[in-house]
Amino acid sequence: MKHEGGVTHHSVHYAGHRSNDMNQRKYADEADVCIVGAGAPGGVLAYDLAKAGLKVVVIEAGPFWDPQHDFASDELSMRKLGWQETRLVDGQDPLRLGHNNSGRGVGGGTVHFTGVFLRFHESDFMTRTLDGVGEDWPIRYQDLAPYYDRIEREIAVSGPDHFPWGAFHGPYPYPVREPISANAQLFREACAKLGMESVVAPLAILSGPFDGRPPCINRGFCNQGCMPNAKYSGLIHHIPKAIQEGAEVLSDCMVTEILSEGNRVTGVVFSHDGQTYRQRARVVILAGFVVETPRLLLHSATPHFPDGLANSSGWVGKAIMPHSSHDVYGRLPEEVRLYKGTPVLSLSQHFYETDPDRGFARGYTLIAHGSRPVAMAGAIAADREDGSFLWGQKLRETMLDYNLYARITLVGEVLPHPDNAVTLSGLKDEYGMPVPKVTFSYQENDKKLYKHAIGQMNRLIEAMGGVPEHVVSDTAHLMGGCRMGSDPQTSVVNEYGQSHDIPNLFIAGASTFVTSGGANPTNTVMALAACTADKLIEVMKRRDV
Amino acid sequence: MSKHSRYPGYDVWEEHPHWDDHTKKIVGSRRTPQVSYSFFSQGEALLMQTVVSVLVNDHRLEVLTYVTQHLDESLASPIGEAQRKVGVLPKKQLYRKGLAGVDAESHARYGVDYVVLKKEEQQAVLQALAEGETKAADAWSEVDSVTFFKRVLREAVDAYYSHPLVWSDIGYGGPAYPRGYVRVEKGLTDPWEAKASET
Repeated sequence: MKHEGGVTHHSVHYAGHRSNDMNQRKYADEADVCIVGAGAPGGVLAYDLAKAGLKVVVIEAGPFWDPQHDFASDELSMRKLGWQETRLVDGQDPLRLGHNNSGRGVGGGTVHFTGVFLRFHESDFMTRTLDGVGEDWPIRYQDLAPYYDRIEREIAVSGPDHFPWGAFHGPYPYPVREPISANAQLFREACAKLGMESVVAPLAILSGPFDGRPPCINRGFCNQGCMPNAKYSGLIHHIPKAIQEGAEVLSDCMVTEILSEGNRVTGVVFSHDGQTYRQRARVVILAGFVVETPRLLLHSATPHFPDGLANSSGWVGKAIMPHSSHDVYGRLPEEVRLYKGTPVLSLSQHFYETDPDRGFARGYTLIAHGSRPVAMAGAIAADREDGSFLWGQKLRETMLDYNLYARITLVGEVLPHPDNAVTLSGLKDEYGMPVPKVTFSYQENDKKLYKHAIGQMNRLIEAMGGVPEHVVSDTAHLMGGCRMGSDPQTSVVNEYGQSHDIPNLFIAGASTFVTSGGANPTNTVMALAACTADKLIEVMKRRDV
Repeated sequence: MSKHSRYPGYDVWEEHPHWDDHTKKIVGSRRTPQVSYSFFSQGEALLMQTVVSVLVNDHRLEVLTYVTQHLDESLASPIGEAQRKVGVLPKKQLYRKGLAGVDAESHARYGVDYVVLKKEEQQAVLQALAEGETKAADAWSEVDSVTFFKRVLREAVDAYYSHPLVWSDIGYGGPAYPRGYVRVEKGLTDPWEAKASET
């Protein structure tokens, strides 16, 4: 065991599976597949590919967490689950990164996500055709439906018997969570009053025992890492299963370059403890999320690909999208106690589809969203929608009423725009790699959408009998930057995540999203990864790659 | 808005025997902060602590010492900032120049150091920073006062609302592993949670 920077690295995970000596790796010179990033897509791919008998190596920049010893019921100290390395941000609406949207460590973002597990709707895959905005995906909902089914069964998603929106109406593999928190109850009652349907949220959180794991105990710290292991994460599910199937997981290893010869990749270079190593593989899959994947491609330029590897289209890094994720905090006459229970237990997609009468395209999900004191105080103090600050006596007195507040959060669709992009800056990080620059500005449709949502959240707070007092400006999730498409001129990968330029290079994860949808992305990320895994198994058996 | 705690008799730390060891250790260490600094000079630490007390409107030394120590540790740490806006100085320089700016602003307005100002004057200086209405132009040539104010406010508030005494003030139940929360629905509380006083 090694301690550094407040993190304990538990090599015990590797007992019997891996030597701590990086020169004694299982597949150093002969891996079939090297996956960069052990997050939501990397875990699914590692397990499926290893199960199919392929030699899989997963390389992860962060630690291999041990929930019992590394996690805590504490907001401040658990920020370490996020990607804390400094990235530059720019644009009219510079993004908050780190714990807000980027995981670091085995499990990636699934370690600190709220577990909300939604499917995209049919319309999400064809916004250009239906609404004249964004772009169509090269796949349709029906292509992904069997993979949504499979992933939801595989991790025992809990959810309602009837889900009223989109193409999938339930039932979910596991029964709905009960009881739900006061905040979630109040949200559902307010929706009913205003004629909006609502449901108990479909969650990657257990409502009953499954696979040796217990149901949720409503501890409430999903964003800080689940300690009872009731919430799904790649860390406790897919990665350990992949290791059992023979995969090798190299944590605390930062990939710094993709190796290539002409239009073939041959492996990657990674750094561990100040030493540099090479990992060769027949296929490389980049699953390092929306910032690191384009960064790695742009940094791995060659004479053959002077503008970045696999970037003949010029679209690597472009059209990144967060979700608009404003919060409204409303003060109620009675106690709500936002800290209690799973943070998200109810939601509504009443405003999900385009309604021309609203004056904007596309839509959103509204979520009853718990909050702990650090998140609430920090947001209402320094991230107010009107740009003002709340501090001193006013902040202190507001927070003395902490238990009286309810909160609703938006997950709003943001349309793709090529100027919203990941590029390389002139600064270098500790590995000598260029620090990425992430530029983001809301466009007109995005602004109309979130303003509409704020209006609806205010109405819901009033329907609870409360006063909407604090509107917080925030974003959630990141998608795009290596979008899929059928035209190699305007997209980076095909519908399976395979690079148009380099047939043995794949990209998995939210990076390949064409549009953002108006729902939490993890289910779609994992379903796409399962689809890529199937395709890879097929072509690798034929030795077509 | 309340002037006083709704839960005057509640001490969340009394529940710590029911918490897991890792959480206990992290939260417990905040109750007994060290008074030694790696990044701040003694003068900067005193100034920082004074600024924090105005931002969070609290004068309890044990809480303010912890917040200042936390800021010092994060400034001394090699761990990154997650994000930094283009054109903004790296965090260490932002704090160093920003703190110097607070004193310069105090001198420009009142002719003395910030720490000896009256409370209302201290608030007025921070208000000027927050609104970008600074007078000590030289001191703010490299640092935007609004950026500095926002950064310090956010980070001071993050640490302040991580202290168990403040959790008790606001009736936050906090850590609940391994026991969890059982009574989560409207109007229900577990027996050990804070109960609002009748008055």
